[in-house]
Amino acid sequence: MPGWHKATEGLQDEDRFQMVGIIQEQHPDRARLFMQWKQMDWPIMIDSLDLLGVSGIPITLAIDEMGIIRSKRMHPESLESDFLSHNYRDSKDGEKHVKSFPYTPPNLEQQIETKTSFSSMGEWMSLGNDLVLWGNQNHLDEAVNAYQQALTLSPDSGQAHFSLGVALRRRYESPGRRKDDFQNAVTYWQQALNIDPNQYIWRRRIQQYGPRLDKPYSFYDWVNHAREEILEQGAQPVPLPVEPSGAEFAVPSRSLLNGTESQSEPDSSGRIFRDSGEFIHIEQTIVASSKKDGSFRVHFTLRPIADKKAHWNNESDDLKLWVSAPKNAVIPSRIFHYPNPEEATDSRVRRLEFEINPGNIPSEEPVSIPAYFLYNVCEDVNGTCFYRRQDISLEFK
Amino acid sequence: MRYGLSIAPWIAVTFLTMDCFNSLSALELQVGKPFPNLRLPSLKDGSPMSIQDFRGQKVVLHVFASW
Repeated sequence: MPGWHKATEGLQDEDRFQMVGIIQEQHPDRARLFMQWKQMDWPIMIDSLDLLGVSGIPITLAIDEMGIIRSKRMHPESLESDFLSHNYRDSKDGEKHVKSFPYTPPNLEQQIETKTSFSSMGEWMSLGNDLVLWGNQNHLDEAVNAYQQALTLSPDSGQAHFSLGVALRRRYESPGRRKDDFQNAVTYWQQALNIDPNQYIWRRRIQQYGPRLDKPYSFYDWVNHAREEILEQGAQPVPLPVEPSGAEFAVPSRSLLNGTESQSEPDSSGRIFRDSGEFIHIEQTIVASSKKDGSFRVHFTLRPIADKKAHWNNESDDLKLWVSAPKNAVIPSRIFHYPNPEEATDSRVRRLEFEINPGNIPSEEPVSIPAYFLYNVCEDVNGTCFYRRQDISLEFK
Repeated sequence: MRYGLSIAPWIAVTFLTMDCFNSLSALELQVGKPFPNLRLPSLKDGSPMSIQDFRGQKVVLHVFASW
């Protein structure tokens, strides 16, 4: 794409054509950072739901003055001969096709009110799309509901599955998140891909969060490089409200790491008192490889519970995760550490990810692996601190 | 058909097409056909934007991702 930028700068100055982009991203801010880094100032539209319906990118189209597509495979080197030198205004198929549609911005509240009269999948999809495109975080419950209704009427719609996944992942990143929003997003994306395995925009969304065996490339390793270069130029990088996760930075690998020798379980006798989620809320999301090669990426999010004013005690031992993986599992370690930050306490969200092939997958039976977290958590401001264990179960299927 | 009978056929087709564009993603990108009437948020400020906004100019549309 930078190729297009360089090749067309001079031509744009001559006002002979307009360069326009449509970017396929779940997170608009990452696209903004990318454009800032590449110093590209074209008008860009963001298509998180893939409403354009393309199944792969990049694609470059030439569109004439009347809005007619003239090429779907435009190359910078043949732009002049194949497109710019042509006179389409006099061609007879122009005006016949092209009508200008009047545009009225959607009235979201009014649309939500009229949903009781909806009877078609298209009406629900349209509502869901408008809420995701033009609404705010408060509209995500309605958007999720609209796509669920669309799926009820049309259970085989890949687009409805994919869109529901997009809305759920967006809600997971909002204050209105519900339990298992991220896991459910991944599940719907996987179902969408099962319906249309050739849809690479959908496949990439799963691979973004999945194991390295399944990655075609690192999705967001450019982010840190971009920030450094922008800072060197004396500018402030566009802030990212949702930082890329480990899975999104991770580079592809041909094999999973395996190293479980001589590791002893930290609480094998189970003596440490349990936190049943009273202080720390733990959410897990398991993303299977889209190639179904038996590898998984496990994402944990640990949130201190605000009502209790719970916070991490960083002057104690590091946060630990013990995974009781069976002998035939491939896992880099059975014990994982989250290093304590510098400050004495904090109440930030902690994320921990690892990859595993639990063995016997794919199989008829799901594999269940017990695991637990150990952490030192404090109650209230200047309150008591406790060393606690929280048991979890990892279900692979 | 209700009021459908009383309007010119091309208007009916336009309405039908608009509904499709808004609700389903089965957009056909065919050489010789108009680019779909798809309105998406602009990356700059989230305001509605469409290829129609560039009518009268030749446009090179690049569909891409940062990854």
